[in-house]
Amino acid sequence: MVRVLIESTGEQREFRALKSVTQLLNRLGLKSTEVLVIRGRELLTPDRMIGHEGDIRIRHVVSRG
Amino acid sequence: MKCRRCSELAQVRLPSHHTGFCASCFETYFLRQVERGIHEHKQFSKEDRLLLAVSGGKDSLGLLLALSKLEYDVTALHIDLGIPVSSQSARSTVEAYCAAHSIKLHVLETTEKGLPIPEVKKRVNRPICSVCGKIKRHWFNRFAYENGYNVLATGHNLDDEVARLFANTLRWDQAYLAGQGPVSPAEGRFVRKVKPLCRLTEYETAVWCFLNGIEHVLAACPYSAGASFTGHKKLLADLEERSPGMKMQFYEHFLQRGKPAFQAIRAEAPPLNECARCGYPSSMEVCGVCRIKEQLEA
Ligand code: SF4
Ligand SMILES: [Zn+2]
Ligand SMILES: [Zn+2]
Repeated sequence: MVRVLIESTGEQREFRALKSVTQLLNRLGLKSTEVLVIRGRELLTPDRMIGHEGDIRIRHVVSRG
Repeated sequence: MKCRRCSELAQVRLPSHHTGFCASCFETYFLRQVERGIHEHKQFSKEDRLLLAVSGGKDSLGLLLALSKLEYDVTALHIDLGIPVSSQSARSTVEAYCAAHSIKLHVLETTEKGLPIPEVKKRVNRPICSVCGKIKRHWFNRFAYENGYNVLATGHNLDDEVARLFANTLRWDQAYLAGQGPVSPAEGRFVRKVKPLCRLTEYETAVWCFLNGIEHVLAACPYSAGASFTGHKKLLADLEERSPGMKMQFYEHFLQRGKPAFQAIRAEAPPLNECARCGYPSSMEVCGVCRIKEQLEA
């Protein structure tokens, strides 16, 4: 399973498999410059492959206050 | 995707520059863009006494780090608004951050100045964020002026500037369009105001913060009903996606071609008065902040 945490809402999503970051962003309806896609200490560009497992965090870039 | 500079695996893709960077080349890129914004617009130099308004949000902390890496003489000023939970959280974040990085910090409490924000909210019958913003701007400037800082910097980025420009344009607000930009010159008791992140987007700033371990999430202000210009930012993001680089172009062309025209129109506008109570510039006899204070004292 690929587990995806949307930090802004705390929502957790699971996907059986994801081809790429672009596919993940499309599934979530997000633009690539709207969020950081974080895996461990690393940022993933849209062309990166994801596969069947892993933990990913989605961080919105819009600043508050 | 590979880094354009060193061919390592890229971590950041920047469509507006048709490029991508690894973490360490992104650091170089980011600092260069900050420097370029500062020089291009003659914002300040290493000789200036620079005060940075630090809210505790990522933009201001990220900018503080960038300016100290670039070896500017920068001091931070945090304004404690006296709002339960969120103000404590913001203040302790800023204090811990400045202590860890050996950055000089001042904290000013609005309560001490007779303006605790929860009290202001109770007594003033206007949207609290515009009143709160007015109070913060007044005290940032006044603190700088009274303490010998000649330049006041804020963490506004390109997206903030473009969204504001878009809003001002929708209203064709001549006064604001004449004054908007990365530098507002000193005038009377107004110190020079600058925006060193004017060439960097929200996305780039978030990347910078992530790569530098600035991850603290602040407790949200209980009065925030969504950040300002959120709707405009969405629209502009759609445009940017269709034509990468459009935001920067809109802003730069405004500065080159639009702003001078509005400045010419406004050249005849009457100069600001000095507030009869505090002496700081105002278009009225008594400035907005002194009027709020009087309302609270009544
Ligand atoms: S959200 Fe509004 S009230 Fe709260 S700190 Fe920001 S400007 Fe002030
Ligand atoms: Zn590189
Ligand atoms: Zn006044």
